[in-house]
Formats: sequence, C-alpha cells, structure tokens
Amino acid sequence: MKIVVCIKQVPATGADKRYTDDLTLDRTSVDAIINPLDEYAIEQALRLADAGIADSVTYLSMGPDQAAEALRRALAMGGDDAVLITDAALAGADEWATAKVLAAALDKLAPDVALMGMASDDARGSLVPGAVAAMRNVPLLSYGSELAIEGDAARVRRLSATGFDWITAPLPVVATVTDQVGEPRYASLKGIMAAKRKPLETWGLADIGLSADELKGAALTVVTDARPPEEKAPTERIENLPAAEAATKIADWLAARKLI
Amino acid sequence: MSNDILFLAEFAAGTPARSALELATGAAELASQSGGSAIGLAYGAGASDGAAALGAQGAARAIVLGNEDRPAITYAPALVAATRDAGLALLAPATPNGRDLAAAVVGSLHVPAFGPVRAVRIADGVVESEQATLQGSVVTTSRPADGAPSPSVVLVLANTFTPTDGGTGSAEVSAAPAAEESALTQATVAESHEAEAKVVNLEEATIIVAGGRGVASEEGFAPLRELAGVLGGAVGASRAAADAGWIPYQLQIGQTGKVVKPALYIGAGISGAIQHRVGMQTAEHVVAINKDPDAPIGEFADLFVVGDLFQIIPALTEEIRRRKGA
Amino acid sequence: MTYLPTADHDELRAAVRELAEERIAPRAAEIDEKAEFPWDLKELLAKQDLLGTCFEEKHGGTNLDTIGQSIVAEEIARADATTSLIPIVQKLGALPIMLAGTDEQKDRYFPRLASGEWLAAFGLTEAAAGSDVASNRMRATRDGDGYVLNGSKRFITHGSVANLLTVFALTDPEAGGRKGMSAFIVEADTPGFAAPRVEHKMGIRGSPTAELTFDDVRVPVANRLGEEGEGFKIAMATLDRSRLGIAAQAVGIAQGALDAAIGYAADRQQFGQRVVDFEGIQFMLADMASQTEAARQLTYAAAARVDAQASDLRYWTSSAKLVAGDTAMRVTTDAVQVLGGYGYISEYPVERMMRDAKITQLYEGTQQIQRLIVARQLLQRAGAAKRG
Repeated sequence: MKIVVCIKQVPATGADKRYTDDLTLDRTSVDAIINPLDEYAIEQALRLADAGIADSVTYLSMGPDQAAEALRRALAMGGDDAVLITDAALAGADEWATAKVLAAALDKLAPDVALMGMASDDARGSLVPGAVAAMRNVPLLSYGSELAIEGDAARVRRLSATGFDWITAPLPVVATVTDQVGEPRYASLKGIMAAKRKPLETWGLADIGLSADELKGAALTVVTDARPPEEKAPTERIENLPAAEAATKIADWLAARKLI
Repeated sequence: MSNDILFLAEFAAGTPARSALELATGAAELASQSGGSAIGLAYGAGASDGAAALGAQGAARAIVLGNEDRPAITYAPALVAATRDAGLALLAPATPNGRDLAAAVVGSLHVPAFGPVRAVRIADGVVESEQATLQGSVVTTSRPADGAPSPSVVLVLANTFTPTDGGTGSAEVSAAPAAEESALTQATVAESHEAEAKVVNLEEATIIVAGGRGVASEEGFAPLRELAGVLGGAVGASRAAADAGWIPYQLQIGQTGKVVKPALYIGAGISGAIQHRVGMQTAEHVVAINKDPDAPIGEFADLFVVGDLFQIIPALTEEIRRRKGA
Repeated sequence: MTYLPTADHDELRAAVRELAEERIAPRAAEIDEKAEFPWDLKELLAKQDLLGTCFEEKHGGTNLDTIGQSIVAEEIARADATTSLIPIVQKLGALPIMLAGTDEQKDRYFPRLASGEWLAAFGLTEAAAGSDVASNRMRATRDGDGYVLNGSKRFITHGSVANLLTVFALTDPEAGGRKGMSAFIVEADTPGFAAPRVEHKMGIRGSPTAELTFDDVRVPVANRLGEEGEGFKIAMATLDRSRLGIAAQAVGIAQGALDAAIGYAADRQQFGQRVVDFEGIQFMLADMASQTEAARQLTYAAAARVDAQASDLRYWTSSAKLVAGDTAMRVTTDAVQVLGGYGYISEYPVERMMRDAKITQLYEGTQQIQRLIVARQLLQRAGAAKRG
C-alpha cells in the first residue's frame, strides 16, 4: 500500500505578509514552513507506515526551489522519498492549475492513497483535493479525523451533523484529514540526519506530461484590489469592576446595539 | 451563456439546510442584478419534495441532483452535468460538503473559483467577490479574468446573506441532466454513529457564546449555556475545549472547525489565537471576557471585559433576564 | 580549524529550538516550583535522539561534533536550565568511559546511555573535598576479582536518578588523591549503594543534586576505568571537556533572559512609549546581546579545540566556562532589571533564570578555579616562550 502525501510550503503563521506590485503574494518576504494542516496528513501517513499498513510514504510538493526545504523537513519526520514539481510556468498557479499538476504527478506516482491536509493556511478554498479527485476520476474521502485501510478500501471517520460516520471507498482514493488525527511528531535528530540521504527528485512539467501551454490561460481569476481590513473602532474595555457592575455595562452595550 | 445564478441546496429529511435558504436569497439578489434567474441545485434526502419551497427565497427553478442520504461528494457528477455552461455563477456554502462539490466542479469544468467570500455582487456583468485572505491580514477583491469560462464557482461564508422571510413563491422543479460515469460516486457511508448529546448547527446561530481553555471543564460550560439560553443563541468552543473533550467537535469554531458569522459572538476564556480568529472574525459584534488583560482577543474584540468569566457570565445572565422580565 | 556553525548546525538549532519552545519552556516554571526531575522531558529528549549526541553511531548515538552538542545544550537551556542538564550530565557521566574505557566497557554501557534508557552521573566531589579533589577520602579496596567501595559523595548532579555512575575512590590511600585514586563504573542497583538525600537549591531546582553513600559496594575489576592510580588524571581530563557543557548551558540561559527582556520591553508601555524605546534600556540590551554573543563564540572556539584534541584545550574550555558563566550571571541580572518589579516575581521567567545562572559560576570548577587553570596555562606558555 503506497501513500503519497501532498504538502505545500506556506508563509509562517503570524508573519507579516506583503503583496508584490502585481498583487501576488511576495513569498520571499516571509519565513516558510510546511502548511501546518499538512503536517497532520504526514502524521497520519507515518502512523499507517509505523503500523506496517503503508509500505511506502512519498511526499509531493509543487512550488519554487525553496519548497525542497519543506520536503526535507517532512522526510525528517519519516517517510521514504520526495518529489518536487517546479517550473517557471507554475508561478502564481491557481487551484485548478495546482490540481492539474498534482493530478498529473499522481498519475505517474500511482499511489493507493493520495493524502492531503484539509486546507492550506495561506488560501482558504480547500478546492485542490476535490479537483484532483475529479481530474483523476478516483473517489474523494475528505475531512477524516482518522484514515484506515481495510483490504482494497480506504475509510475515513468524519464528523456528521449529529455524530460521526465512517465513509468508505475502493482504492485508489484521494483523502484529506483534519487536525484530529493526532499531534504531528517532531523530527528526531536521527530523522533529520537521515533525511539528507533520502531521495528527493525534482521534476519539471515535461516529466509529468504537461506543457506550459496547457497551463497558460490558467489564471482564470484576477485580483483587482488588495488592502488591509477596514479599520475597526477601538476596543472598549471594562476592567476592575465588580461582576454585577460589569454585567450592567455589558448589558447596556448590547442593548445600545439592539442585541438584546 | 445565461445570466442565471445557480446555488447548491443541501437537504436532510426533506428540509433545506440553512445554507440553502441563505444562498437562495443571495442568488435571487444577484440574479436581479445580472438579469437572470436563481436556480437551486438540490440534493440529499427529501430534496425532490422540498425543492419547490426554495421559491420562497426567490429561486425561480430547482434542479434535483438526487434524493438519497449519501455522501455529498457522490452528487458531484450530477452537479457537474447541471452546471456545465449553465449560468454566471454557482454559489456553494463554505462548508466541508460545499467545498468538496465546488472542488469537483472546478476540477471537471476548469472554471474560475472564488472564496470563501464575505461579500459578492455583480459588477460590469461579472461576479465580483470580496475575500479576507491570509488569515484576515489582507482583503482582496477578485473577478473572473476576461474570457474566463462560466459559471464562476463562489464559496460563500455562512450568514453572508440573510434568508428572506415570508416569501410564498414556488420554484419549478426539474430533474438533473444525465451525468457521466464517475468514481466520485463510489464513496458510501459504512457506519453512522449518533453523538450522545444533540448538537445544534452552529453555522445557523445568530448569537454564539463560545468557551475556551478558561472554561476549564465540561461543567464550566453550564453558565455559558444559561447565557446562550437567555440570549436565544448557541454555545460554541475553541479547539482547546473540544480537544479536552468538554464539548463535541461539532461546536468547534475556527480554522479546522466551523466558520461562523453571527450578529453577536461572546468569547469567554478564549485567548483568541489566529486559528480561532479565522473562524469568527466576520462576526458583526465581538465581546470577549478573559482574566488575562493581554489576551490577543482583546486586540480585536469590540468590547473586552477583563475579569473572571465564572462571576461575570452568571451576573450578565441575571441582568439580561431582569431586563427581559421588565 | 574552523568554528563557524554550518548549515547543518543551523538546522539542528532550529529543530531543538522548536522542541524547546513548544515542549520544554512551558514546563520550566513548574519544574522549578516543584523541584521535581522532569522525567517526561527526559523521555522526550531520548525519543528525539538528543541524549545520544556525544556517542558514536555504532552505539546508537548521533556523534555530533562538540559545537553541535553545545548548540543542543544551549537551546534547551534557553528554555530551561534544569532540562539542559539531562544531555550535559549524560556526557559528563560517560566521559571517563570515553577517555579511559575499554571497547568492552563502551559496548556494554554506551548503547543504553545513547538511547537515553539509562542516565549517567559523575561521582567525584566529596563533602570535605570540593575544588580540592586531591584530598578525596572515599576508599576502594581490592578483594579477589573485585573492589569494595566505602565512603560518601556529595553534590552529585543526577546522583539519585542515574542508572550508572562513574565514581572516583582511593585504591592507594598512602599515595594520596593525585596518585592513589582510581575510577570505577558503578551500576546504581548494586547492593550497598544509596542516594539518601538531595539538596534544596537556589536554582536548577528540578535537577537532583544528591548525596551518595557506598557501604561495601562490590564492583568487578572489569568495571575499573584505566589502571589503578589513573583516577585523578581521568577526572581532570573529563572536566577539561565537560565544563564546555556548562559554558553552553550558561550561553543558553543568557540568551533566554535576553530574549525575555526584549519581548517584555517591546510590549510594555511606560511614560507613553515602549520600554524598549528608552535609550538606557537599549544600551543594556546591546551589552547583554554582545556579551552573550562573545561567550557563545568563545564556547564554539573551545569546542573546535576539543574536537581537534588540541594540547591547550584546557585553556580554551576554562576560558569559555569562565566568560560564559559570568556572562549568564550578568545578563540574567540585567534582564531582571529591564523587567523592573515584574522581573523579581515568578510570573515572569527571568528571576528563575537569574537563580539558575548562579550555578554556572560554581559547578565543574568555580570561577576562581577556572582563573587558576587559565593563569597556569598562561604562565606555562610564557615559560615556554622564555626557554625558546
């Protein structure tokens, strides 16, 4: 059973972000880390490997050369090898183009499970996993708090409106997991040292049978404006008051806004 | 190309989800700007019986994608068939199911995708949407590139539109066009487990009282429930409280929980880490109660009360009760 | 000889810092308050391979160079001085075996130390013989295929939690400590060995400093390190290297205090501006930073000499410990000053760091002993120059 975990390098949470003049994110301006939600996908894959269920764990990322750092960090946590898809034509790729590239790379790697985090920290659409599943014509098992393999099928435990379900589909699948799979492990020192010797290949578009032309015109959306959020009114503070007086003030505040 | 506005309408037991009513209202609003019709794409148990009622929020038509209780993603092939070349925009709720279905459309049809958005309008004949990206540090306005195919897929945050009340219209119901064979239909529910306690759908609440690490225990949520009760709201939680097992994960607000947009959010014992903030930052009014005067939530709350939640919340409940009684 | 940290060192530092900030720093105040050995963090460090950095790969270690080992100690000490002693004392206890042990002894004990399954300690100091090691009194009497150890030790870091101790005792009392002392490996479960008492301390409170008693403790000859009478030489060679761990710990404590001071001063408003905007505070921070950096660089320079087995490594390690220990004391004291009244209370970490810093001026040779060592080396060099 072979797992490919798709990971994305993102700016560190809390870091200041800047846009370049053409309104794309200036990725050189900030510290880069593995998208924190992807670390849960890594953890889930490594747990399946630790349990002897997954025979191999490969990491796949699309991004600039520096994204190799994210792959090395993932390899330090565990797993076998990694592939970086990098190509000048991919700068500013949207979700469709990202999914197209990942789908083509996954066709070549042919995993039983393509595993992803439930969302990316730097863009909130979460559209890539479903788009990849549609492009590859494989089932999607999403938002799992656990991923299990049973024979020729995969299943995820997923929160429902009133409890939880186990949703199952025949392999191969695209799956996404949430932060409920368990805290990601820290890379051990031996893991960090071993990661330097694990295979990390870099592929261009040609290696996955795509051409820049196929992705051209992929920019279907344009950002016409990027600005800081509206200045909000300064926070009103209630401090050092007995509870009853504070409660009266809060109630007044709510009443003034017709909230009670 | 038509100027119709499509929207996803999820049903359970014949009843539309709150998101379906919000999006029906939003679609009708956009359709009036674009000169088209609002068309519901209904799926889930009882969708065929309930679809006509979407007319009350202004839907002119409703296409039934399927009528069974099965994983939402299995409706993707029917949705793709109904969406192909069919309108200006497809509004989908920014929920796990809405995202999965929107993703399948984007992957299959190569159409522009936006969101999750907090405002959407028609400008110059195209969809223009406003999105808080990068964890709220930047607000962007986007629109489809010139010549981009339609429809634009727009993920819409809960409470972006307020459902129209008292409408009497009825949508004209039709079946979905034939769908292509797809492996996406192969996901099935193998087991279903009910939670011990009944949980509300937080995305539908207009008032939320949320508790975090400072609530300290399962019992600590009791005063929050009382306050929510007198306010007519629901109880929510931060990830710390859900991880601790004090409250079901269905009530978790934040990056990996629900994204809510209530009229009033009261956070008690919640520090306001960025992961929680992204789930509630679009609330209209934010009140925070925290012992720590330096808690990050104090920087973005509208009203920040420094003090012990176990004293202040019961006192506030009492005060509101008194005023309501008066 | 180069002592600039490499890209690998930077990566190591980043990894240890992440672990220390997320898992160790949040425990520091509690460890200090309860004065309990952090077994959970010992397990964490073992799992992350951070207790085996000084051991060879064949024994399950990661065989980092001495700069790498210093970085590990430094980054842990930046979060919590007590916890940094776990890897530091692991090496201290093992150094006599590294320097004088046989392959059999190493093969037998190092895998358990490198994995962190066992903890080691170094038993040299006695109640009446602190800096004056040569006046040690504990006895080891030959008896058939073994030795019988009798006496006591005091101020033994981790003496009560270690599974293995390297212990120094007189085999030839007539010849005195300098010539008549021998070194032994003692397993803690040997009958007659006990750690009846731990000290109540000002700082590094979670790190047990134990009194040890030896009552007819029987140790096989196979557990003797080196020859009879080589104990003093082994002890001194150990301290020449191990005190660099204390230098690294001191640098880490200083850096932790500096970072806490900057964080506070950048946040706190007084007289309508941030505390950090006052020039007087900036001068203090600049002094703290540059002194900490000087101590760090001297520590790395000494580490490179240790790896190169330089003949004057003692001069370097003593200088590094002297400078780093004094720097830690000064920088932590200044950090308390920057925080003002808040620096003096346990709500903020700097008062703990100040208490922790003091020990770096005391153990593994007081600062006065370090000065004597440096001066002796200095005069020897001058003497050599004269003869040349």
